[in-house]
Amino acid sequence: MDVLLQAIVNGILLGGFYALMGMGQNIIFGVMKIVNFCHGEMLMVGMYLTYMLYTYAGIDPYLALPLVAIIMFLLGAVIQHTLITPSLKTKSFTNLLFLTVGLGLLLSNGALVLFGSDYKSIRTSYSQTNIMLGPVSVALPKLISFLVLIVVTIALFTFLKYSTTGKQIRAVSQNPVGAEVCGINVRRIYLLTYGLGVALAGIAGCLLTQFYSIYPTAGASFGFRALIVVVVGGLGSIPGAFFAGILLGLLEQMSALFISPSYSDMIVFITFIVILVVRQLLIMRRK
Amino acid sequence: MDVKKAVSGYRRNLTIVVGALLAVFLVLPLIVKTPYIINIFILVFYISTMSMAWNILGGMTGQNSLGLAAYMGIGAYTVCLIVTKLNWNPWVVSILAMLVTGLIAGVIFFPCFILKGPYFTLVSIAFAESMRQFIINSEFFGRASGVGLPFGEDSFLQFRFASKVPYYYAGLIMMVAVYAIMKRIDNTKIGFALKTIREDEDAAAAIGINPTKYKVIAVVISAVIAGFVGFFYASYIRYVDPDLMVQAKSTEFVLPAVVGGAAYVEGPLVGGLIMIPLSEFLRANFARVLPGINMIMYAVVLLVVIRFRPSGILGWYMDSNFKKFIDEKILKKPSLDVLEEYQMMNYESRKGGK
Repeated sequence: MDVLLQAIVNGILLGGFYALMGMGQNIIFGVMKIVNFCHGEMLMVGMYLTYMLYTYAGIDPYLALPLVAIIMFLLGAVIQHTLITPSLKTKSFTNLLFLTVGLGLLLSNGALVLFGSDYKSIRTSYSQTNIMLGPVSVALPKLISFLVLIVVTIALFTFLKYSTTGKQIRAVSQNPVGAEVCGINVRRIYLLTYGLGVALAGIAGCLLTQFYSIYPTAGASFGFRALIVVVVGGLGSIPGAFFAGILLGLLEQMSALFISPSYSDMIVFITFIVILVVRQLLIMRRK
Repeated sequence: MDVKKAVSGYRRNLTIVVGALLAVFLVLPLIVKTPYIINIFILVFYISTMSMAWNILGGMTGQNSLGLAAYMGIGAYTVCLIVTKLNWNPWVVSILAMLVTGLIAGVIFFPCFILKGPYFTLVSIAFAESMRQFIINSEFFGRASGVGLPFGEDSFLQFRFASKVPYYYAGLIMMVAVYAIMKRIDNTKIGFALKTIREDEDAAAAIGINPTKYKVIAVVISAVIAGFVGFFYASYIRYVDPDLMVQAKSTEFVLPAVVGGAAYVEGPLVGGLIMIPLSEFLRANFARVLPGINMIMYAVVLLVVIRFRPSGILGWYMDSNFKKFIDEKILKKPSLDVLEEYQMMNYESRKGGK
């Protein structure tokens, strides 16, 4: 029983990261209809940024969080402005796809050149602290990360729901032409969206650093799971992404516990395929 | 009569140029003896072939698969396993490998054809990755350490040579054959149907093209080619492990097509001939100091091409004055209406003959 509880708590905490990644991907995919295949690499960049801030400037990972978010936002905005916006005009899905794939290659291999392939980690004074919640022990950084995640989710939800810019973002995601007719600067919204999505990935990376090794391909598995979260949680839905992420984390931990840890990846992928196909069948039925 | 003369002159010139290119490749191993250079060309051949296999699905049909390496892996595994366990002849097994990959692509993947656009890409990645995970976890497939083919003396029947040169010629034949098949498909009903689906799937369905049927055809053709390349790869490297099926490999196979020009049958060849030697050169010279430098080059070229020449190197060439110069001065290509007239004449003489 304790093992099961522990697995559930671990699953929820792990799922939090998937949720955070999924939210970023969700905004980008929802607004621009492009799959950001370098989302995992953005997480990795966030991890290295935190690592550099910690080792060279001595900034605590959690204090570095806003800084990382801002830098990542600017990085995303620059990429959007120089690469993605001009390519959006060609309307070629293939090109946009490989644009982000190419960016991912550039980032992960750039990290390989700059930092080498060895694993790095951040150990703060409190990273080994465990807190007992009843029979379950939880690492303090994981708990803090999850609290940050909840704050970010609520903030994002309120931002998209009630602020003018958030409303503009939702308008563009529903109909870019109509939004432009209404006087919304679509290019600015694209800039904002991509920046925001990348910043969310950066936040996830920053939070991960305390209990996950930092290496150039660290983001790959998170990047793909973010896509799963988008599909399962539904386009444009922040609460959907939140719960889908947690569900995914739970699924992974449960299959590791009940079947075998080495099969958990495969189970996640097959579940994803089944969900995709069933979802499409339901959509076709509705038509 | 004038029309016929102009067209046959153009055809002759074209044959000479293509023949000269082929002759260069045929003679190359006789001049260059370095195994390292030969190896690069073998890489060019099989990666370009994979890229063409992707192109029929991605470039022609507009279904961006990112899991092609898995089919190549399945082909390679089929060959390695059956040859080592049952001791069959590799050539026979290569046909079996093509059947297996075609079946897996056509039957197991079948429900996924209803997915469109990005969802198809996602499911292709998930499918490839779950197959890789399956192989890693299976004792039969040798888990993560892979399966090897037996070594031994040179023999054509076993497709086993110590030297790289036979593989060079085999790879060249494979690439040219696949190119010929692709060129043929491009000009037949299937090719036109695929291109219509790429432009607008709903419109294609409206004019009587069954999108699912043609998508299945495209996926199966691409998987069968990938399966055969898997056979070639397994015979050449004589070893296969799950690392062959990682997603990065699938991406690597797509890059030549996108850089060369995904809308053209020749795109993957052009992209492959430019990108792979460059990448290997960088890897050989700088990888010790800067690991990953060749992939950075790949990425930068990809980004630059997509940003500034969205239709690829070949698309750029098609609009350039350079092509005009070659067409007019070297190939003496007749104008379009002359070509059309020639086709008309052909058509009428065929009709008259019946």
